[in-house]
Formats: sequence, structure tokens, C-alpha cells
Amino acid sequence: MASKYVGLFVLFQLLALNVLSQISAFPTPTASTDDKTVYNRQLTEERPLQEQIAEADSVKAAVQSAEGKRSTASKGAESEQDLDDFTVLKSLADGQKSKETTELPLKKEGQYVPDESDSTKSRRLTEDYDSTKNGMDYGKYQDDTESFRQVDGTSLTAEDIVQKIANKIYEEDDRGVFDRIVSKLLKLGLITDSQADTLEYQVAEALQDLITKNAKNNEIDDVESNDEETRGEQEDQGSDTNKDTWEPPSRRYNKDEDDDEENDDEIEDEVDRDAEEEGDDKANKTWDKDAEEGNEVRPEDGLQDLQYFPNFYRLLSSLDSAGVVECETYTDRLMSGAPYVTRLVFLAGHHISSQWKENLDAMIAMQTKNKLGKALGPPDFTGPNGKNLDEDDNTKAEAAKMQKEYENLKDSTKEEQPSTETNQPGKSETYLEAIRKNIEWLKKHNKEEGKEDYDLSKLKDFMDQQVDSYIEKGIIAKDEGDTIKRIYSSLEAVTLAVLPYERILVRARLWDSSLSDSDPDLDREKMVDSLQYSKPLVQAAGRFPSPVIFRMLTREIRD
Amino acid sequence: MKHFTSLVLFGAAVVALVSAAGSEGEISFEYHRYEELRKALVSVWLQCPTITRIYTIGESFEGRELLVLEMTDNPGTHEPGEPEFKYIANMHGNEAVGRELLIYLAQYLCNQYQQGNETVIDLVHNTRIHFMPSMNPDGFEKAASQPGEIKDWFVGRSNAQGVDLNRNFPDLDRIIYINEREGGANNHLLQNMKKAVDENTKLAPETKAVIHWIMDIPFVLSANLHGGDVVANYPYDETRTGSTHEYSSSPDDVMFKSLARAYSIYNPVMSDPNRAPCRKNDDDSSFKDGITNGGAWYSVPGGMQDFNYLSSNCFEITLELSCDKFPNEDTLKSYWEQNRNSLVNYIEQVHRGVKGFVPKDGDYWRLLAPGNYKVAASAPGYLTVIKKVAVSYSPATRVDFELESLMERKEEEREELMDWWKMMSETLNF
Repeated sequence: MASKYVGLFVLFQLLALNVLSQISAFPTPTASTDDKTVYNRQLTEERPLQEQIAEADSVKAAVQSAEGKRSTASKGAESEQDLDDFTVLKSLADGQKSKETTELPLKKEGQYVPDESDSTKSRRLTEDYDSTKNGMDYGKYQDDTESFRQVDGTSLTAEDIVQKIANKIYEEDDRGVFDRIVSKLLKLGLITDSQADTLEYQVAEALQDLITKNAKNNEIDDVESNDEETRGEQEDQGSDTNKDTWEPPSRRYNKDEDDDEENDDEIEDEVDRDAEEEGDDKANKTWDKDAEEGNEVRPEDGLQDLQYFPNFYRLLSSLDSAGVVECETYTDRLMSGAPYVTRLVFLAGHHISSQWKENLDAMIAMQTKNKLGKALGPPDFTGPNGKNLDEDDNTKAEAAKMQKEYENLKDSTKEEQPSTETNQPGKSETYLEAIRKNIEWLKKHNKEEGKEDYDLSKLKDFMDQQVDSYIEKGIIAKDEGDTIKRIYSSLEAVTLAVLPYERILVRARLWDSSLSDSDPDLDREKMVDSLQYSKPLVQAAGRFPSPVIFRMLTREIRD
Repeated sequence: MKHFTSLVLFGAAVVALVSAAGSEGEISFEYHRYEELRKALVSVWLQCPTITRIYTIGESFEGRELLVLEMTDNPGTHEPGEPEFKYIANMHGNEAVGRELLIYLAQYLCNQYQQGNETVIDLVHNTRIHFMPSMNPDGFEKAASQPGEIKDWFVGRSNAQGVDLNRNFPDLDRIIYINEREGGANNHLLQNMKKAVDENTKLAPETKAVIHWIMDIPFVLSANLHGGDVVANYPYDETRTGSTHEYSSSPDDVMFKSLARAYSIYNPVMSDPNRAPCRKNDDDSSFKDGITNGGAWYSVPGGMQDFNYLSSNCFEITLELSCDKFPNEDTLKSYWEQNRNSLVNYIEQVHRGVKGFVPKDGDYWRLLAPGNYKVAASAPGYLTVIKKVAVSYSPATRVDFELESLMERKEEEREELMDWWKMMSETLNF
């Protein structure tokens, strides 16, 4: 059965090849009415597989013919993306042969090309997340009527789904996979923004794990453009066209294709990743154009796939491809004080030993702290220069706090100031310092006693309550209370017991949440200067599974 | 790589520095005005929120909160078996050292607790410690606002109304002395005085607040921090005859001497037998081993120390900590070093004597010097129970009492009588 799927699918992929673009556009609500009628079928029971496949095929064909070419951010691209998404979702559920009845609200929207396989599989991923897993609250998801089901009728757990998405992204080396899926879900109102964020985070984590797993088996310097390595399982890659310099260093990833490592990865009918890529020049043009549209994540804006990385792509086009460089050299460059962004770029794209990462993390922490140290200097927590730095300071202060935690965790280096400063500016820092010490002690204490990690949200609640009562009694002023509460909230946003590598992710998320929506113009020159690495590296960085990071990066450059 | 290495080296150097400074490196020794005091207490609370709590017992005349930081394993409640202890400082606004010492002490205990200091951890878990760094914040502001280094001997001493708080408490000594002569209670005089206190217009708001505080919390041991001399002073402060100098011992004189010594012994300046008096013409003839009886030094009526003892049996002593009432800021560190051990050791004294539970009625403590005692527990409507106890220096000897109420006993006796009568009547065919 599976192979049949593969066969059919690949067939269609071939057809779609020519029109597939690298850009994964967000589906725009521009589907023709024709499509709508096609999609508007009410499934009351699972139809025979063959029938579904046949129907899907016909629908696909219809869509394709209706859409046309993909050279612009057009419906065509969109439809191709739909197909891809299809693939993704289908492959997600691959191996699961549930026969359950599901309704595809997606179809109703007229956006979605129905999957030729089980209609259940093209369902939203967020469905049926086990809310007890990983402490994530997926309870909201359970409002949805449809669900993924496994062969034996049990639901696909959240973990499975996340893992599958991560695998898919990893295989294809294209975060667009995720974006498309999520964008559709968002658009259809099946998940909320915050759920999307959570999902993204989970997927990012899973992806990081994947990368790390494979890290040992891959070398850093294998970043070559035009690498046409293909996977063994893939039957037909020959007709890959438009291989470009934007070839994924992810080729490396595939080197040690480990079906073993990813047991649950039964994606055999891998979508030809090449198919999704296009010529560099073309990409550049497109990207440039897309870059104008800013960094929006939301599908409604109808942006291209690489919207997340407009600045990087701008950068890419202006960088010379310098080929591959040794790890050591990069390390040197990084340690020589290149800005934060470069470190992340590096981290994002490369497989490096975890120890090295740890050190790097500490370095980043240090640098960030230094950078932020100035920000905390001025007396007011709301920022000295009148800008809307409230949130910034919050995150910066929080980040600074995190730096201190890191430092303390690494060693007992005490670079902090004395806890009682008499000058006003010291106040927030004093409180920060005190809170940090408390958290430190809690962690250590719980570790010693063998307890679970302390419950940060409980602590936060307790402290909020106390703060309120103190404000009421006149023991602390309102603004002080707010400061303290804010520190704890930002703390809560950060999982303290994460690996260093993940901390970066988390930090990025934190920073991201404080970013304003509009992206200021970036100083291209500055960007170019700040990124001294080879293009492939930067390209690799582009695959970092989160737009969040990039927003932060671009912001960093601006700073 | 170079930068990283250099950073590591720098880090290592800093570590070395810090560890050399010891835990003191985390305390910054400077004067705290009201805002800074508040901030400092809040910081301690933020650092140790599970063992501390800030509360206020009222407001000063000018509206500043009379802040207290309590430190215990479950802040906010009295736990049975956990004695209550307090330190109050700066009731004379210009006597500034005590105020600062209490802030440093709070920080110190919090730091030590988190660093795993067993003594401190035990102390915090078994005691409820209250710190009031300033009973007279208005006076302090006045004193601190004086320009220049030299502060006047009197400016800022009294509260904003001009009241000397340490002469403002109801004079229970006099009542005691009368009772001694004519018979009557010599302790817990406050029980029927709540109303009288509330209606007393002569009491400053700060005084009233403290009196309520004493009535609310069953403090066992306390100390009152002052400046202007260096000695540990114990009751009674007011002389019996009214003369200016006279040793006026309380029934617990032995215990008080022991307590006062427990403080002075760890203060090298206080216990220095060869220490010259603070001022050339000072009469410190009553000082011995760094301690003195209040009356023997000079008579003080209406003081807080005796009020504590007589109103609620809270043993309080007065600690004079510096010749200079408001010394230079850069001397604060040395005052801390002189007093740190004494301050901690004195808190530990609360765990001496006898303590125990009386079922249904709660817990009690009684500080006693080593020796053999008969301890009698009595309550209105209950039969007194007397037990013999041998008390050692430390820790406290546990003696529980089961008090039988008078009513119960009468009931029992009556029942017994009824049974007997019944038996008799049956036997004798009544």
C-alpha cells in the first residue's frame, strides 16, 4: 500500500515539479469557486482508499490546470504548496491507516486540495494533543471535531505529530513545510496564534534534537552548493531541476540517512526537495520582492515562503560564496566578538559539539549581558530614550537576568553588583538580583533534595499575590510592584531548565514577543559587514526552524 | 578563542576576589534612608520569599510605615512550639547603628540560609524572628538630613511630635513596685489594659503601634537597639526608690544577666574590660563584663524594655552599640563585624529555659537560667499544676502541662459523690 502511495504521489510530484517553486506561499483566500465545489464534500464515511486517491488525483489535476505557473506569488505557487502540504500531511499520517470519518473543514474553505489518502490525515495536527504530554496545554485543541487516528484507533499524540513535522522539515530541509501547515491552520481558525507559537516551539525543539542527533555524523565543512545527493529511498529524483546554490547543506543531514534513528519516520515517498528549490537568481529576485513585505508570519498577508528571511536573503545575494570553512576558524571568528547574530547564524546551521555550544552560549550570555548592561543603567525601567522600550527593557532585563543565571550556573563568577545600591537606577537591578538569587537557590535546593524542579508558575502566582498585598499595605509602591511582577512574568516565559542551545530558542522567543510588528529598514551595509561568513553558511542558517530567530537576528543587526 | 580564555581568566579572578571577601561581599555597608530601607527589606524578601515576610505594625506620625521583616520557615503564622523573637532598633531616631545592623542582619541570615549554614537554617526553622529596623523613621530622617558628618546628640532623637519614645510607654514599673509592697501581680499587667492603652492620648502613634504588636504576638525574647554607649542593659530600668542610680533587680535577674552576657560576650568591644568609657566623664561603674542593670546605670521610667517584661513577660534587654550615636558611614562595616555574632547568638537564647504545651490552650515558654525549679502552670478556672524541673543552660527543657479545669474537677467530684451516695443508699436502703 505504501509503495503504491509513493508511486502515485511521486508521479504527481513529477508533474508538479515544473511548477513548484521554492517559495512556499501562504495560501490566500483566492481559490476559485470551482475548487470549492470540488472540496465541499461531506464525508459521512470513509470511502475506499482507491476512491479517495482517485478523487484526490482528479482534484489535484483540476487545481493544477486551473492555477497555472508559479513564477509569481500566485495561486499557482499556492496550489503547488497545497500539494506539498498535502504531501506533508499525508506523510505525517503515513503508516497510519485509519479509516475514520473526518470532515475536512479545509476543503470547505476551498483552500485545500484533498488528500488522496485518508482524509483523516489531512487534518489539523493540533487535534487530539494529549494535554498531559510535556506539560503543554493542548486542551484547547480538543474542541476540534476531527482527529488523527492511528491504526488501532488511538489518537496521534502531540509528540507524534510534532515529531513528524520536525522530521519532515528535517528531511526536506525546508521550514516552509511547517509554515504552510500552520498558516493554513491559523487561517482556518483551527488553532490560535499562541497555539501556533507553542507548536512552533515544540517543532523547533524536536528539530533541534534531530539536528543534534545527526550532528555527530556530519561534518561542518560539508557545505557545498549544488550537492545533488539524493536519498536512497527516493525513486525518482532524476528530473530534479533548478538545482541551485541554495542547495541545502542539509544534504549533509541526509548523509547518514538514518531510518534507524527516526523509527517513526516512515516517510518514504519523500518529496523531492530539489523540486522545491529554484534557481538562485530567481530566488533572489523573488526574495527581494518578498522582502519588501516584511516579516509577517501570518498567512493572511499572502507572503512568500522566505518572508522570514528577507534580510538574510538580501544578504545572501550580496555575499560571495566563499566555500566551506573549518569549524575552528568559525569558532575564532565568533570568539573574536562578532555580534550575537553571527553566533546564532552559526549555531543555526551547523552541527557542533554540545560542549562547544555550551561555551558559545556562555559567550553569548556574556556579550548580551554587556550589551544589556547599558540598557539597565538608566533609572527608569521604562527606558531612558522615550521609545516604547517597556517591553524591550522587560525582555532585556529578563535576558540580562538570564545571563546572570547562566553565569552563575556555569561557574561562580560573580560579576553582579552588590545587592543594595543606594542609587535609584539600582533599584530594579537590586530586585532582579534578589529574585535571581532566589531562583538559583530554589533550583539548587530542589536538586539537593531530589525534588522536582520548583514550580515557577506557582511561585509567580504566590509572589504576585504577595506583591499585591504589600502594595495595598503600603509596603511597596505600585511601580515597584509592577516591576517585580514583570520580572516574574518574563521569568515564567522562560523555561529555566533547558539546555543551552534551547535557551537561545527560548530567548529568541522572548525577544520576539517584544518586537513590534513593523520591521524598520535594515541597514544592508551593516548586515553585510556583520556577517562575514560564507553564503552557504548563511543559507544554512536560513533553515533555522523559526522565524522568531530571524526577527531577532535582524533586530540585532539593527541595534 | 583568545577572548574566551581571557574572559574565563577574568572570571576566575573575580571569583577569587569574592571568595576572599566572604559573605560580607554581598552586603553593602551604608546608611539607608526610609526608601532605601524599604527597598532593602523588599530585596531580602525577594531573595528569600519562602522564609520571610514584610508587614507593618502601623504608621509613624509623619506617615512612614513601621516596617517589620519576619523570618521563619512558615512566615505569617505562629507555629505551636516556635518561640517569637524580636529586634527593634532606632527608637531614638539619631541612634543609627542599630537600624543598619538589623538590615544587614536580615540580609545576612537570608544569604546564610541559602548557602546552607546549618545554624542559621535551624534557627530560622525553629524560631519566628521579627526585625524592626526603625521604630522612629521620622526621627531618623531628621537626624540624617543634617548636613555634615557630625550629628547632633539630640536632633532626631524623639519622634516627629517631640516625644521621647523610650519614656513614652506606660510606667508599669511603678505599679510593680507598689504591688511588691502591697501584694499583687508582678507580671502580665497588660491583660486588662488594652482599652486603657487605646484611650491614652499621651501615647505617640509609634508607641501605640508597638504596644499593640506586643499584645498580638507572644514574644518570648527581645532586644532594643540604641547608641551612645557600648553595653548590654537589663531590667529594671527604673529605680525602686526613685533615685538616679540604684541596682533594681527583677525576679529574673539571674536570667537577665545571663542573657545580657550572651550578647556582650561575642562583641569584642562591649566585653573588653579595659575599654575606656565613651566620653571622659562617663560613669560606667555599673558596667561589668559588658553588661549593666538599668537602674544601676541610670533610672529610666516609661521605657520599652520594662514594659515588654511586665506587660507580657517578654524578656527584653537594651543594647547600646556605639559610643557615637550616628557615626560615619565607613565605620558601619566594623560595627557589623563587632555585632554580627552577638546578634545571632542572642536570638538563639530564646531556646532556653522551659517550654511546652498545654493541651487545648497552646504553647508557652519561660526563659530560665540553669537550676532546679518548680514550675507552676495555672489559669483562671483551672487547677494549678506544679512540676519540678531541672533546667540546663540549653536547650530548653520540655515540660507539658495538662490543666484540669476547675469545673471539670468539680464535676468529677460531684459524680463521685453521687456514685457514693447511690451505693450507700442501696446498701442501706435509703
